[in-house]
Amino acid sequence: MGIIEGMLSGFLQAVSLDVFPYLFVGAVFGLVIGVIPGLSGHFAMAMIIPFLYSMEPAPGIAFLLGAHSTVAQGGGLTAIFFSTPGTGQNAATLLDGPPMRDKGLGAMAAGAALTACFLGATFGALALALLLPGLQRIVLFFGPPEIFVLALLALTFVAVLGKEDIIRSLIAALAGLLLAMIGLDNVTNTERFTFGWLELRDGLELVPVILGLFAVAEMFELWAKGGSLSGTQAKVLSTKETQKQIFQGVVEAFRHWWLILRCSAIGAAMGLIPGLGSAPAAFVAYGHAKQSSKSPEEFGKGNIEGVIGSEAANDAVEGGALASTIAFGVPGSSSMAILLGALFVLGQETGPNMLTYHVDVIFIMIFTIIIGNFIGMVGGMFLVNPLSRATGVRASILVPVLLVIIFTGAFAVQQSFFDIGIALVFGIIGYLMKELGFSRAALLIGFVLGFTVEKNLYLAVQLSGPDFILDPIPLTLATITIVFLAYNVWTIIRDRSQSEPVHSEPQE
Amino acid sequence: MKSGGTMVGRMTLISRAASICLVSILALFCMAACQKADTNKEPKTGVAAFYDGRKIKWIIPYSPGGGYDEYARLISPYLEKYTGARVDIYNMPGAGGLRGNNELFGAAKNGLTIGSINGSAMVTNELAETRGADYKISEFEFLGRIVSDTRVLVISLDSGYETFEQIWDAGEDVIIGATGLGGSTYVDAVVANEAFDLQLKIVHGFDSSSVLRQAMLRGDIIGSWGSWGSALDAVDEGRHKVVLQSGMERSDDLADVPTAFEMAEKTPDPEHTRAILAAWEALHRVGRPVAAPPGTPPERIQFLREAFAKALHDPELIAKAEKSGRVIRYASGEEMEQLVEEAMQMPDNIKQFFISAVKGQL
Repeated sequence: MGIIEGMLSGFLQAVSLDVFPYLFVGAVFGLVIGVIPGLSGHFAMAMIIPFLYSMEPAPGIAFLLGAHSTVAQGGGLTAIFFSTPGTGQNAATLLDGPPMRDKGLGAMAAGAALTACFLGATFGALALALLLPGLQRIVLFFGPPEIFVLALLALTFVAVLGKEDIIRSLIAALAGLLLAMIGLDNVTNTERFTFGWLELRDGLELVPVILGLFAVAEMFELWAKGGSLSGTQAKVLSTKETQKQIFQGVVEAFRHWWLILRCSAIGAAMGLIPGLGSAPAAFVAYGHAKQSSKSPEEFGKGNIEGVIGSEAANDAVEGGALASTIAFGVPGSSSMAILLGALFVLGQETGPNMLTYHVDVIFIMIFTIIIGNFIGMVGGMFLVNPLSRATGVRASILVPVLLVIIFTGAFAVQQSFFDIGIALVFGIIGYLMKELGFSRAALLIGFVLGFTVEKNLYLAVQLSGPDFILDPIPLTLATITIVFLAYNVWTIIRDRSQSEPVHSEPQE
Repeated sequence: MKSGGTMVGRMTLISRAASICLVSILALFCMAACQKADTNKEPKTGVAAFYDGRKIKWIIPYSPGGGYDEYARLISPYLEKYTGARVDIYNMPGAGGLRGNNELFGAAKNGLTIGSINGSAMVTNELAETRGADYKISEFEFLGRIVSDTRVLVISLDSGYETFEQIWDAGEDVIIGATGLGGSTYVDAVVANEAFDLQLKIVHGFDSSSVLRQAMLRGDIIGSWGSWGSALDAVDEGRHKVVLQSGMERSDDLADVPTAFEMAEKTPDPEHTRAILAAWEALHRVGRPVAAPPGTPPERIQFLREAFAKALHDPELIAKAEKSGRVIRYASGEEMEQLVEEAMQMPDNIKQFFISAVKGQL
């Protein structure tokens, strides 16, 4: 089957009456799951799997992938309005989403986020389509040595994120690396920093840590401060104003099309590489948005570019992850691992077979992602008004309700009471970090990438010896990392020496 | 007035007709309900009445989406069908399956909690006295086994090797990948090295079986051990090949792949090889059982065992399992007790070997 033929057939199947209703129901289901903190894409997919046994492949795929594709959109809304990441991927949205809400621009941020998600997902899906012919070779470029260097490169984005206060950011990032060490080291089979607790043997679970650092910390702050999430209670927007803001947000997203394109490319590329994980992609994209922005000093204080950049990368990741899943059956993320199992249930084979004989199935996936995200975007806009109204509720009512939802989310990941404790402890840590001006994003990046860096370094040395760094791809990536780091250090020094005379004047 | 009166009369008539309709519908419902009860030939008394409408909690010691989870989600509707209870799946991943297993061991003994067990891993953890193994596997009340494990050595076809003999001759040049130190893919590789006097280099630390597959495609490693179920689709694509399978007899879908026992003839010390392989095989036979906590009332265990047997023999379930490539090899609860006993009784020197393999000391 040719690509054009497959594309046509895939599109017609995706919009046919046999498939579209499932796609719609799936997309709405995913959106709702995304809005609920702690419940993420792979939860939505696992819920759907039992239905697949009696379904035809096309509607099954549309149902499953439709649900998965809108989760990050729902999660972005929760991040903006309640400072609580709906899913782990939305953590980067927290840096600029809530500050925009505090300025009374919450609906605008939501409109921009939803649109950026849709455009990012579309980009990721199209990238997948374009890469189809050479897909297999590209994925095989990345093994332990390459992933090690790439993860290091991603780590250096801490330098961009925390430019204003590089020392504190480094402290936070190194603390994150230390936290990543907790658990059973699967190289030496030794337990590290577990203090004899069986619960810590698998390390800290990502979702409770994120929920604690950002969501619980926010609740503490709100509690201490009183009032409501939207600042003063009188400032809750009218329905009409909300609609106007959403529309402005959509326009803003389209105005930043070049940024969306670049951040989507970052997301898709990071999704393509198995083992890197999708959580860092949004942060790297955020770092890039900040680096390339005309007003980087406004980042973290409610810059719409920060929201757009991270949300675009968020959804583009899935197109990339889908690519490596299809090419080899090597899942690029935990959700993709579930998708792989589901495809098997539906009787579909991945790999060369699918690339040669079932191109239409691949295009059903591509169109499902695009159409699903469109449904998510429109559906999400209907949620903006009620959600933004809820932010006007008094803290004394809102905090207990949200805490219950957040802790339930922390518990639900692996039915563990211990994880509720983790969320609570990290809530305190997150609150203190925010008060004292340490970057929580830096800590999270260190935590997410620490294990990847360590493990892949070990594997790279075991497989190719210490010379692995001299191979072409790792060497190129390492050079980029060093140049990037050097440039940032240089700008920091330059900025400091420029501002120093001003500070030191009174002393002289 | 007259017309008004008739209106009222009509209204009452209508409402009377409506209420008659309602009553008759209710009656129909009752009859349907009675009939339904009738068709369930044996009236629900005793244990069946206890389970009717209750909730059974099925603990899976791994995350959603894995093999254990998929089996449970496949089987649970049929367990519901034959118990009359609702079956809810609880994923409790952690500590390589120990967390869910401990939870099951200490769960309420009312017959409303059951759980899947990773048989061979839980037996070896108990033998090695792994910290956190707070259970006695032989004390579980087994409902039966879903499947026994067939472990296979999968190699990449691009590697240039095509048979196990070739790998045997190649010796140290061959790198076998594994996940965690002491994990099952690692233990398999160590066992094969010891049994066949191989010197293959084992590189562990890969994240999951899918990362192992990518490493095989890249040529970083030649191959790895794994369960037949997880190797299935890659082999179907024609990129990987199974060169050796565990067990004494070739399994039906791997009819042209030699078993480890067949290869034992060719080792310098077949006696020793067979002893190790026998212990290894006993572990695999424990497979993936489903059990209730110790001390559950015997009549409820009996009821659950029967329901479990009926569920796993339901033709609809078998068709679905076949469609999704999930093999079912049922064994009864009574047989499971026997199988666990056999797995626990290893000769001392072999037990020591397995303990050091699980502890990653080899």
